[in-house]
Amino acid sequence: MSALQVEQIVTRLMQLPALPTVVAELLASFGNEDVDIALLAQQISHDQALTARLLRVANSSFYGLQSRISTINEAVVVLGFRAVRSMVLAVGVSGVFRPEHCPGFDPHAYVRHSVGVGLAARALAQATGRNPELAFTGGILHDIGELVLATCFPEQYAKVLAYRAQHDCTLVEAERDIIGLDHAVVGGLLADTWRFPASLRSAVAEHHAPSAATADSLADLTHLADGVAHALGLAKTDSEMVMPVDQTAWQRLGMDSEKIARILPQVMKEMDETCQAFIA
Amino acid sequence: MKIKETLPISDVLPGMCLADALMDDAGRVLVPAATELTESMLHGLVRRNILELSIERECVEDPAIALARREKIEEALALRFRKAGDGAGTKSLYRAISDFSQEQQA
Repeated sequence: MSALQVEQIVTRLMQLPALPTVVAELLASFGNEDVDIALLAQQISHDQALTARLLRVANSSFYGLQSRISTINEAVVVLGFRAVRSMVLAVGVSGVFRPEHCPGFDPHAYVRHSVGVGLAARALAQATGRNPELAFTGGILHDIGELVLATCFPEQYAKVLAYRAQHDCTLVEAERDIIGLDHAVVGGLLADTWRFPASLRSAVAEHHAPSAATADSLADLTHLADGVAHALGLAKTDSEMVMPVDQTAWQRLGMDSEKIARILPQVMKEMDETCQAFIA
Repeated sequence: MKIKETLPISDVLPGMCLADALMDDAGRVLVPAATELTESMLHGLVRRNILELSIERECVEDPAIALARREKIEEALALRFRKAGDGAGTKSLYRAISDFSQEQQA
């Protein structure tokens, strides 16, 4: 057992490279109606790597656009500021982490699962009258605690992954058994450190216990989208495992088999191209 | 089970069903999807130099192959759902994914 203490994790989080300025400003812009959209678009454009990845996502089948977008300004005009902001956060936050030194951590499976949850959350949000762009970002970032652990504590997290494979248990159980807390808790600590808006924090910190969150948070949507993505096997790994569907979340979303069935073709259609845009 | 196949127009017979809408170069629909083709329609399409058509037809699947396919899907789902419990939401999710996967494979 190599338990991690909350203080130890927070100290390590404070040592992470700073978020790109524009990503931090976009995070701060939630709840602020006086945002200078033109200035933010200009700042995004100055980050060439971020711009290139954003344009790849914007031009994938995800948005189904008729013509290609070639600048951030165009993206803001065509897709709207909120959609661009969600995309910047989805692309920019994950980009800070480098989990390649953690044996057993499969970064491609991580991206495939995250994109699958993002797409499922977006489709579920559309079906239940919630904000689809925010739901997509929540889905993309929901397991960010895993990236934190694989990047900041690679040796301990490698033990978690080996324990999980050996005991055929859920990842959350393996994390609690080996390091004493799970990736949702760690994601919540990151969300606090980087001042995520409350909606995104709930997607990250409460997706495994949505009934403890409020009904208007993203926890219900993200929890169910997580189940859909695992059930479809979108990460394409043998260890893929659906956790019990929380009945409170299910009922609060007014779900049934037919509603789930209606979103599945859309998720599958957008999956491969959106993944390529995120992995490239 | 319905299957879709592309046939040279010379092999298409009256009474066959068009799988996808047939469009001209400008994107106008010449014949809508699911139309039952008649002899006069086929003559008209030959005159327009249409070389092949996408046809949908019923096909009786070998019951043994269909059963093996269904079992393979259920086996994969049972593996993914092995820790998912038997709550009402879990069962509904399983049913939706199972039906969808069977349709996709059919």
